[in-house]
Amino acid sequence: MDNTAVTYKMKKTFGKSLLYTLPMFIITFMFITGGKPDFSDPSTALAMSITFLGVNVLYFLMHYTGKTDRFRAVLFIVFAMSLSFTLISNMLETRDAMSFSRADMLECKIPFCHLVIPMMIIPAAFTRSIIFPGSIIGGFADISSMVILWLAATLVLGRGFCSWGCFYGGWEDGFSRFRKKPVIKRISESWKWMPFAVLIMVALTAALTLVPTYCDWICPFKAVTEFEQVTGVASAAKAGIFISLFGGLVVILPVMTKKRTQCSFLCPLGPINSVSNKVTPFAIKIDKKSCTECMKCVDTCPLFALTPEGIKAGSVSIFCSKCGKCVDACTRNAIHFGIKGVPSGTMKNFSRNLFLFVSFLFIAVFSSGAIINSLQSLLKLIF
Amino acid sequence: MTDSFILGLSSGSACLVTCGMVMFPYLMAGSAGVKKIAVDLLIFLLTRLVIYFLLATLAWYFGQALFSASVLRTFIPGTLYIVFAGMLIWYSVGRNRTKECPAKIVTTVENKRLIPIFLGLVNTLGFCPALLLILTKGAAQDTLGQSYLAFFAFFAGSTLWFIPLPFAGKIRKKKVIEIIGILATGLAGAIFIIKGLTIIIGGILNG
Repeated sequence: MDNTAVTYKMKKTFGKSLLYTLPMFIITFMFITGGKPDFSDPSTALAMSITFLGVNVLYFLMHYTGKTDRFRAVLFIVFAMSLSFTLISNMLETRDAMSFSRADMLECKIPFCHLVIPMMIIPAAFTRSIIFPGSIIGGFADISSMVILWLAATLVLGRGFCSWGCFYGGWEDGFSRFRKKPVIKRISESWKWMPFAVLIMVALTAALTLVPTYCDWICPFKAVTEFEQVTGVASAAKAGIFISLFGGLVVILPVMTKKRTQCSFLCPLGPINSVSNKVTPFAIKIDKKSCTECMKCVDTCPLFALTPEGIKAGSVSIFCSKCGKCVDACTRNAIHFGIKGVPSGTMKNFSRNLFLFVSFLFIAVFSSGAIINSLQSLLKLIF
Repeated sequence: MTDSFILGLSSGSACLVTCGMVMFPYLMAGSAGVKKIAVDLLIFLLTRLVIYFLLATLAWYFGQALFSASVLRTFIPGTLYIVFAGMLIWYSVGRNRTKECPAKIVTTVENKRLIPIFLGLVNTLGFCPALLLILTKGAAQDTLGQSYLAFFAFFAGSTLWFIPLPFAGKIRKKKVIEIIGILATGLAGAIFIIKGLTIIIGGILNG
């Protein structure tokens, strides 16, 4: 181990941090206001201002403190909660209930989410039809815009989508931070392959039945969005399954393990995003010269992407979501954001700045609508 | 039909994990050409298909005889689904699962031409929880045709795992594929437990 290795400081001065925040400031301003700030409705103006300032303060703090994950997590968690709030309030406004009926399905009124994508591929290729009862263009959470957003984010961020774009991940990310130390420490490495088994199952069952089986039977996030009306034994069984999975994998296990267990053991989109990590320009890299092999990063990784063997070999597995938790935990900056093709241990600051700009911009733009909507509703409730 | 296919698909992986090492040397021996391997594999698969159809017939007739009353038709398959699916999950998560392949006996067969048939026979009749589940399903069907269809779907699902066998030597990360296969088996078990519970609860609610 080379103890004389240079330790990079990710912290920046106040002025420099402001300078780095300026482009984000301008772009988010354009996206949030559409270039024309409208103060006619005070609650909308206030919600927009809070969102705009909040987002930019978080980005500024990332540069100023040199820490990534804690500020990413704030936005990520707020995003998840806001989206659920927006979705639920939308359902309550349009249907008077969180549950949807057969009629809603037949009228293609179900909001689309990225978790359906793995089930759509085979039926779309063979039958040239989309098996999800949502609107293709227009309407709330339509299919085409979600697919394009996911595809763009995945090609650039790889599995980074799971920590910088997924509007469900924030729930378990939040619950995984409840305790200081995990109650369950030893979890078999084999379980991290479970999403691949789930993906095979749901992709094939969806192809055979032309029904999005994951949404129909498994998705735990129906607990915070919408679900099928309970009208019989099958729908009651479905309700039992999603409630149990939400309770177990999104709430209880993340609290007990400090890991994102739903993402690690169930989500069928995870494997696709993991494989896309191979083609994305960004990666987490290990600078072996600076690494003392303390394994703090292995313990903190919420997605089982780091193993002691991997650290010794200087490699990070495809499961990495580039959340930055390991980077923050490393006192020597031996593990860092990097760009493929650039040797590990070099251009650490540049790589981090570039990655943060791209990924933060994505989550800021993607989340701002939901945050503004939920803030507006909250403000209307209060005043 | 979908659940039968999924059951076949998941148990096929487990079957391959257990029996792969015994079957590899016989089905795709290094010296044999692609044609010979393909023919042996075809005979092996045909043997399995024939046996499955025989089992479908037997299961259905047994089902007709045993589950004549509607109460039995609901509760026996429902309970069996839960029991056998539980066994399947135990197999996938249990650390002490047996890795002994019943096809090991093939080493005693002297006539090499009979080996694919023998392997197909032993492999199909190695009474694993998945086979017990599909037998239960075949027995619970209303018509013989439906029973055949269930077994065919099961066969089709499990066969998918055998098709790439000739290329097994070139597959990297076999251990990962094994793990995914075993986990998929557990998931199939979970599906059948839910199915069993739904049948029983549905039976109770419908009187």
